[in-house]
Amino acid sequence: MLEADLIWLTILIFLPTATALTLLLVPARAAEVMRWLAVFGAAGTLSVSLCVVVGYYLLLDSRLDANGRPLYSAWTRLDARADQAASDAAQPIPKALLSDDWIARRPWIEDFDIYYALGVDGIGLSLVVLTALITLTALMASWNIEQGVRGYLILVLLLETGVIGAFLALDFFLFYVFYELMLIPMFVLIGLWGGERRRYAAFKFVVYTLTGSVAILAALLAWHTVDVRDFVDQAEVQQRVRELARERHLSESDVDNQVRIHTFDLVTLSKVGRAVMLILSGQEHRLAARDHIAEQPVWNQVPNGPVKLFAPGVDVAAAIARLKAQPVCTPSFQYLVFALLFVGFAVKVPVVPLHSWLPDAHVEAPTPISMILAGILLKLGGYGILRLAVPLCPWAAAQLSLWIGLIGVVGIVYGALVAMGQTDFKKLLAYSSVSHMGFVILGLAAWSSGGTAQYWQWGVNGAVFQMLAHGITASALFFVVGVVYDRAHHRDLRRMGGLWEPMPLYCGFSAVLFFASMGLPGLCGFVGEFFVLLSAWHFSPALAVPAVLSVILTAGYLLWTWLRVFTGVNEATASFADLTPREAATLLPYVVLAILLGVLPFTLVLKWVDPAVTGWIANLAVLR
Amino acid sequence: MIPGWEATPGRLYVLATAIPLVVTLLLALAGMLRGWVRPLRARGGVAQTLYWVLGGDVPLRAGAYLAVAGMTLTALLSLLGLTLFLTQTATADSAGGCWAERIDWVRVGPMVAPGDALGTENVAAALPALALQVGYRIDALTAVLFAMVAVVSLCIFVFALGYMDEETQAVVEDHEAQHQYHRHTPVRRRGRFGRFYLFLSLFCFAMLHLLIADNLFQIFVSWELVGVCSFWLIGFYQERPSASQAANKAFIMNRVGDAGFLIGIAIAWSHLGTLNLDEIFRRLRGAEGGAGEIRRVQVLSTSEAGLEYVVVTGNDWPAQHVLLHPLTEQKREVFRDATESATANLHDYTVMPYWLWLVMGLGIFLGCVGKSAQWPLHTWLPDAMEGPTPVSALIHAATMVAAGVYLVGRCFPLFAPEVFLTIAYVGAITAFLAATIALVQTDIKRILAYSTCSQLGLMFLALGLGGWTAGLLHLVTHAFFKALLFLGAGSVIHACGHVQDITRLGGLYRKMPITALTMLVGVLAIAGFPFLSGWYSKERILSQVMGLGLYQPEHILLWLLPLLTTIMTSYYMFRLWLTVFTGPPRDKQLHDQVHESPAVMTVPLLVLAVLSGAGAWGWPLWEVEASWLGQVLEKAQPAMVREFAAITERGHQYHTWTGIVALACTLVGAAAAYLWFGRTPVTAEQLQVRTLVGRFLWQKWYFDEAYEAIWVRPTVRLASGIAAADKRSTTVEAGIAAHPPSPDRSEETTAEEATPPRFDWGTLDGWLNSLGDAAASGGAAVQQWQSGRLRLYVLTLALTVVVLLAMLVVLAG
Repeated sequence: MLEADLIWLTILIFLPTATALTLLLVPARAAEVMRWLAVFGAAGTLSVSLCVVVGYYLLLDSRLDANGRPLYSAWTRLDARADQAASDAAQPIPKALLSDDWIARRPWIEDFDIYYALGVDGIGLSLVVLTALITLTALMASWNIEQGVRGYLILVLLLETGVIGAFLALDFFLFYVFYELMLIPMFVLIGLWGGERRRYAAFKFVVYTLTGSVAILAALLAWHTVDVRDFVDQAEVQQRVRELARERHLSESDVDNQVRIHTFDLVTLSKVGRAVMLILSGQEHRLAARDHIAEQPVWNQVPNGPVKLFAPGVDVAAAIARLKAQPVCTPSFQYLVFALLFVGFAVKVPVVPLHSWLPDAHVEAPTPISMILAGILLKLGGYGILRLAVPLCPWAAAQLSLWIGLIGVVGIVYGALVAMGQTDFKKLLAYSSVSHMGFVILGLAAWSSGGTAQYWQWGVNGAVFQMLAHGITASALFFVVGVVYDRAHHRDLRRMGGLWEPMPLYCGFSAVLFFASMGLPGLCGFVGEFFVLLSAWHFSPALAVPAVLSVILTAGYLLWTWLRVFTGVNEATASFADLTPREAATLLPYVVLAILLGVLPFTLVLKWVDPAVTGWIANLAVLR
Repeated sequence: MIPGWEATPGRLYVLATAIPLVVTLLLALAGMLRGWVRPLRARGGVAQTLYWVLGGDVPLRAGAYLAVAGMTLTALLSLLGLTLFLTQTATADSAGGCWAERIDWVRVGPMVAPGDALGTENVAAALPALALQVGYRIDALTAVLFAMVAVVSLCIFVFALGYMDEETQAVVEDHEAQHQYHRHTPVRRRGRFGRFYLFLSLFCFAMLHLLIADNLFQIFVSWELVGVCSFWLIGFYQERPSASQAANKAFIMNRVGDAGFLIGIAIAWSHLGTLNLDEIFRRLRGAEGGAGEIRRVQVLSTSEAGLEYVVVTGNDWPAQHVLLHPLTEQKREVFRDATESATANLHDYTVMPYWLWLVMGLGIFLGCVGKSAQWPLHTWLPDAMEGPTPVSALIHAATMVAAGVYLVGRCFPLFAPEVFLTIAYVGAITAFLAATIALVQTDIKRILAYSTCSQLGLMFLALGLGGWTAGLLHLVTHAFFKALLFLGAGSVIHACGHVQDITRLGGLYRKMPITALTMLVGVLAIAGFPFLSGWYSKERILSQVMGLGLYQPEHILLWLLPLLTTIMTSYYMFRLWLTVFTGPPRDKQLHDQVHESPAVMTVPLLVLAVLSGAGAWGWPLWEVEASWLGQVLEKAQPAMVREFAAITERGHQYHTWTGIVALACTLVGAAAAYLWFGRTPVTAEQLQVRTLVGRFLWQKWYFDEAYEAIWVRPTVRLASGIAAADKRSTTVEAGIAAHPPSPDRSEETTAEEATPPRFDWGTLDGWLNSLGDAAASGGAAVQQWQSGRLRLYVLTLALTVVVLLAMLVVLAG
């Protein structure tokens, strides 16, 4: 039987690849055709992603929670849906796969427990839409790429496939594959289509990100050693027991203890992580088995109440004993794996002092690639910490939360200060990305629990929104730089100036984006920063104060840039042409979104993102 | 017309606020379309038609007319709203629910309180910090200020039709910019009539939104929006470096204040769990409208069931916390009668540290200091005079800068006594400081700007001493006469071809009698001559000040400085008026071309003159307390003002004496000005300062230089230092701090490509690079048969994996 969501999600991921393959058929002379084809492919991907948003929203809206309200039913939670799907498939007579649960789960490499598992929730989906949008506009901005058009377009589209796949993957291995898939096109794009020092920048990019990838790979392998038999549906355990008994010609009760189940399933692994956190923090009495596979969520549970993590029908005492016997249940494993994951993704964010590749990559990358780099790739870092590092190793994350928050704040202040000292327009924006992404880290780190868990929830919502907002403002601003670079052929802020008079439309659009980046209320940059600051104060005033003071620095460097680029009188720029209609059409969606998201963040985005964040918080906040 | 209007007349105000926003959007849309089709204008077809419909090369006047029409509508609605409000609340005992509404802007998760069953609505509402709400709340203060802002804005919108008329030309020559760039050819640009009205309308929206907001969040949003409009309008003549730099300075200094405001908001959100002002007051003071007293408590123990407190009535040492009442109203009032120390074990009550409460108030006040240009953040306001004069009148005199005073008045119940004292001192110091600087300035707009700082200081002083009505009444009357003075100055500047230096003006009375006379009304009002609006408010402030002097004589500065300020205010305002309008012309050539401004400029002057004269009248006329406007404002006065009753009562007792002293001060100042500037002709040289003190004042107490040395330069140096330590630049980028962008960007620096040195231990980037290179060489030594850099890197990485896996195996074993 056809599973509709599987088809939708697969199309969403592989439509760019299909477009790339089609590009191979176009004759080499028809560069214009290729460009249009790529744009149509990206536009199609964006349309599909919007369809998935509608489908996901219907899923949220059509089921009611215990209070009789929509949007917060059990099925809001990705893990409930994923568990149900896994359980349905594990039954002796598999149940029919649901077409509307937005979980697609098929075996891929069964020998290594690898699944082609995709799942949709608000956090990932919002970033998928952002990716589709930015890729489309980046392709629209690629018209002046003259050399190797075909290869260029194919690589950009492959990159899109990798990123969307990573945002949707529910299987750690699948995630890793997509994550790596995205690195190679980026490397080639910077290395071949970049500026003068492109080789240096490309190698640097690869070395930094591959180091991160290796860390993630190590964590991946470490997690695969964990036995998760008490967390998966017991029907699967029974089946394994039967198989093993038949194989070894022993009775089932004899082999029962020898069955180990390993998985890359992120939902299951995060349950292990949470159970470990309870054990390590001396709360193992709270561990309990679930009553149903897809547990009715209890938001913000009773303090010190039971935490139902084991699968239904599991002997809790035996399960705890089995878990404690494993290395996963040691502080050193938790610290090490968390450090590996955090560092792996922190390179991408990037976090000071691992940010050094970013300015070089940006400066050398052509404009559209900078847009993708700032708008999409950095988000993978934040997303990885949000989706993998913290849920898999909550104990270590909680232990280190102050340090993580500090790393975020250092990034915020350091990035802003270094940005202020730049004279290269693109470098300045690259460092401002470091500063803005610091808010994401700070928001994620702002642990709170019990009756005040909502403060952390504001922080995480703020972090997700900040990723979206930064995706919009940063990639748009890189395009803004690209526009002026096309005309002036340099990016030296000291030689610019006076662009306002010859280019009023350009200036108007840039003004909105500058102030959105600065966090002016009413524009998108404000929402995330404001939420993060509110929760940061609750978490630690000592971290919040420097973050608050950084708004002064941000205003300082952006306005100084504004002054140097747009105002004044400058003969050299007086004859510049205003935006062409294609350039204007590229910038317009960003400007509109910057305003709309700033005015209606909840109605447009958070309404369907917050249920996912709520589930995320409900899982973790209860542990402390 | 408005949905649900009968039940919710407050929506009238929402509509009135939205009109300028709609105008802004229409103007922005038109501007965008025009910019979009401008490159295509020669091509013909739809694009060309659209371009010419939108005005073509000449800025359209239609946009300005649209903005004026919108503002007229807003002003009418605001007057209608004020009338309705006063009639409705005159019959009903309180404003009732219909003048306030709110909705969720963002709400997170269906969280339920710990220990409670899955949420009923009440339980959910009792949890703090679940939703950021937006809403409006109209009381007498809002209604009066809304009407004031709308009417003053309308006057200034109309005035600007005349003042900004050169912006309607296709090409404008900016001689000031030419002068600043030392150019021989004039700086030419297109006219920007529409853009001016776009920003002005956006500003009006933000300002009105600030007034109707019922929570700190919305106020903060407007706070920044008015700031950004101020930024655009100060830098309106963006060809002039001085204007752009002044705009930056204004915005960044405001951001310093905003950072404080943000901290205040964050504390309120963390500890009070709400940003709605009524809820904040209720949490702090219990009863409706924040009428109760702050209770300081000592925490004995905390447990799952709740907290155990001792309520301490005095300010004794152990009482380091402030008791916070429950968020929801229906919870019982336990402490209604507990005047003595009592222990209580309560589930619904919480506490917050006293010092944090203090910091919250100080943070919010810092926001007000920035916005209202109070010492020590006052230096941006005089520079803001780079903007067109109507902007100075509207934003930097009448409305935006007064927002700080409004916010202090609005947040009155959430300040600690120590904060009030800080407010009073900051106000008194600013009032004095700015007045001394205004004594010697010769730029007509800068004199007025310092006078604005000084008057705002008086308002803060009054608020800090508990003179709530006095401070806010002065806000309204000041808006009238200061807008009048600025527009009068604008009329002079317009007539004299943008000459602002009073050493070049003189003897203009004959040439422009309407301007001169209306400005005289303004001068008399600000100086505090009886029966003009300024008199009513200033008398009240000074009465409060004298009350303090008699009650707590140790705060001698708080009553000495305002009296000195009164003398100086009177002096410098008369100096200004006498120098500009009387005596012989100092620049004959200039004087000859001067003529009275057109009606579109003089009518607003006359309207504002009437308001400045009669705006605060009541019956009997000679009774300060009888001022109608003052009585309306008193309705909105928060109940906790009674904590200042001791000061206010003493002020009342010696009311007559205060009046005599104040009048004497005014007359002394006016007489001194007349003696120096009125009797004999004063030459331009005589207006220059020569003495040491005069020089000190002329240089504005060297605040700009000090800030430059203490804050700006170290920050920029730190930034470029860190930037240099982060990464060796690949272009020749050294010395941006030493060479700020020079006005005439003639000296072009060449960008040279340079590969970074192989081992560069001086920078973070180089350090990491060296690390990588070292690892790579190590790998190369091990694997001689491999070649190619990428392979090496991959190999290194593979080795790392192996090591890491080995670590894991060890751990697992």
